[in-house]
Amino acid sequence: MTPLTSKVCVVGDFAVGKTSVVERFVTNQFSEKYLSTVGVKIDTKEIDFPALGLTHKLVIWDVAGSEEFGSREMAYLRGASGYIYVADGTRSATLKAVERLQDQISEAHGSVPCVLLVNKRDLRQDWEVSDERFDALATKYNDAYQTSAKTGDDVDQAITRLAELIIDNDMRGA
Amino acid sequence: MELPAQVVSYLQDEFLAEARPFCFLIDENYHLVESWGHADWCGLTGIEPAADMRDAAPFLVGIPITAAQKFEFIETPGRAIVTVHVIPDNGQCYVVLLDASQEHASIQAKQQSVNELRLMHARQHKLIARQRNLISELVEAKSELDHHRREAERISANKSRFIAMMSHEFRTPLASIINYAELAADEGTSSNDIQKSIETISRSAKHLTSLVEVVLDDASLDAGQVELLEHDFDIVSLLNDMAAMMAPMAAEKGLSFATYIDQDVPKTIYADEVRLRQVLINLLGNAVKFTVEGGVKLMATYNDGRLVVTVSDTGPGISIEDQERVFQAFERGRGRAETGAGLGLTITLRLVELMHGEVSLDSMPGEGCTVSVHVPVMAAEDGPTAAVPVLPLPSDETIAAKPLSVLICDDDEDMVNLVEHYLHRSGYGLITSSDSSEAIAKTLKYDPDLVLMDCNVPGVGGIVAARVLREQGYSKPIVALTASKLSDEQKSAFTRFFRKPAPMQELLTEIKRLTH
Repeated sequence: MTPLTSKVCVVGDFAVGKTSVVERFVTNQFSEKYLSTVGVKIDTKEIDFPALGLTHKLVIWDVAGSEEFGSREMAYLRGASGYIYVADGTRSATLKAVERLQDQISEAHGSVPCVLLVNKRDLRQDWEVSDERFDALATKYNDAYQTSAKTGDDVDQAITRLAELIIDNDMRGA
Repeated sequence: MELPAQVVSYLQDEFLAEARPFCFLIDENYHLVESWGHADWCGLTGIEPAADMRDAAPFLVGIPITAAQKFEFIETPGRAIVTVHVIPDNGQCYVVLLDASQEHASIQAKQQSVNELRLMHARQHKLIARQRNLISELVEAKSELDHHRREAERISANKSRFIAMMSHEFRTPLASIINYAELAADEGTSSNDIQKSIETISRSAKHLTSLVEVVLDDASLDAGQVELLEHDFDIVSLLNDMAAMMAPMAAEKGLSFATYIDQDVPKTIYADEVRLRQVLINLLGNAVKFTVEGGVKLMATYNDGRLVVTVSDTGPGISIEDQERVFQAFERGRGRAETGAGLGLTITLRLVELMHGEVSLDSMPGEGCTVSVHVPVMAAEDGPTAAVPVLPLPSDETIAAKPLSVLICDDDEDMVNLVEHYLHRSGYGLITSSDSSEAIAKTLKYDPDLVLMDCNVPGVGGIVAARVLREQGYSKPIVALTASKLSDEQKSAFTRFFRKPAPMQELLTEIKRLTH
């Protein structure tokens, strides 16, 4: 199968579960322990698209959590083909952080494929994002998911969807 | 000025030992050209000549190698923390990896603490918000409970007032019925007195019936069982009927009665005639009942689809603190000892509210009372009527009184007649009074041999009157004859206490015993 390699960046506020989402996607594991990321963690995973005869290797940059990026973080984003925005459903303020980050990224790099993950779906009892607000986000981001890195719910689906969007984008570019 | 060569060399050695640089050169396709240093510590594997370095060092994916760049704190797939320097050189590019693990560890520890604190703060905020919500829910629940408690207290108070009203208001006519029935059955009673007894029994029974009707009416309103039956009717006729009904009653008390219907009042309106009539009878009946001198006025106006009927009187007025109370069930204004269930104004208010209207009351003690009823009504198309002028119908009040040896103070005329009948037959003469303050004056003036006192009478009331008489030196027997229940302390104001309906023979025997 033809190989395709893409850099994708995972961004969002601190402690929303970015590293856990990547760990769930790459190794199918989850740790309850919170360990803040400094700088960037890099992981890779290949996804096969047999119908397209394609293997898509994602080089995932798990960027340290922030409400707003400085020059160091903006440097990490160079050459990214897609973005995974992650917010915490139990902290509605993290959705505002995602919106700010998206504005910064769009301004610097234009329109790039992305998906939104509203994470920690397993903590629905503490959920602060109403269904109405999520529906509005789904409309704005096209592809929004309520995920749980803990249970794995919709994590694979969301990132696989981003891989598809990047392929579509590459094909249109080609 | 440049540093000495020995110092530069020393610092270079120190830096190289600490940063453990690994450097490799790649061509424009990211293929390895050459490398320097050890790659083991930074976890890069598969470094062989001409290898695509993006496989071994995936952080190069997407990174343009045409410009110098620096990436701090990159965790490699081998879990080493490096700072990556990209240094282009004539189509090729040097990539230098420096060990940043120590600095990363130091920053990570601080960042961890800061983030945990921020998370704790966010959780604290959430807990405070939840606490506030809980408190507000508690306050709401308490307020609801308070409301239910007040409602229960109101119902309980209504029940108590109802029982008190039943006890007092029902006992008086019952006493008349029982005693006059006994009188009629007495072989010694003349046919004239029997006829009079039957008339009194009939009147008392009618009064009882009207009390029951009022109580049932209130209960129906309470249960929401009253529905308005609206139709077109002649409001001017209704107002004239009211005037025709009330003017003679006012005249009997020597009061003037005036009616004024504004010319804007339509002749025909769409409303519940029966209930509107009931409201007006209640208001006008109260006005006539409580007014001693002066007069009563009925006025009707119509504006913006609202009929306003105002009943004014020159009666004793109602204090501010009593104004809300008089609309409550089984309540009367303080000092108002007139008979009735105490439901007239309650029913009036409820009926007007049922008509989506309001009742307003304007009164001050000693300055009369004005009650206005505002109800939205639809006018028929026959246009406004002509104004109706004032109709004064005055007459004089008369009081009968003669000095005798027993003074009876009771505002129930039937009871006075009954006692008078028995006492006359027993050879007693009577001084009568329907007001306790007046009874004090007459007792002190005529010094009767015994005072027979009802407790719930106009003026200062029977209990206070008995105490005043004792303080003023009246030492002869004072006997209470009342439908009210008295405490031991209240009973102590009297020589003897009889509760209506009292057996007349027993009362006469006691009067004889006390006056001999």
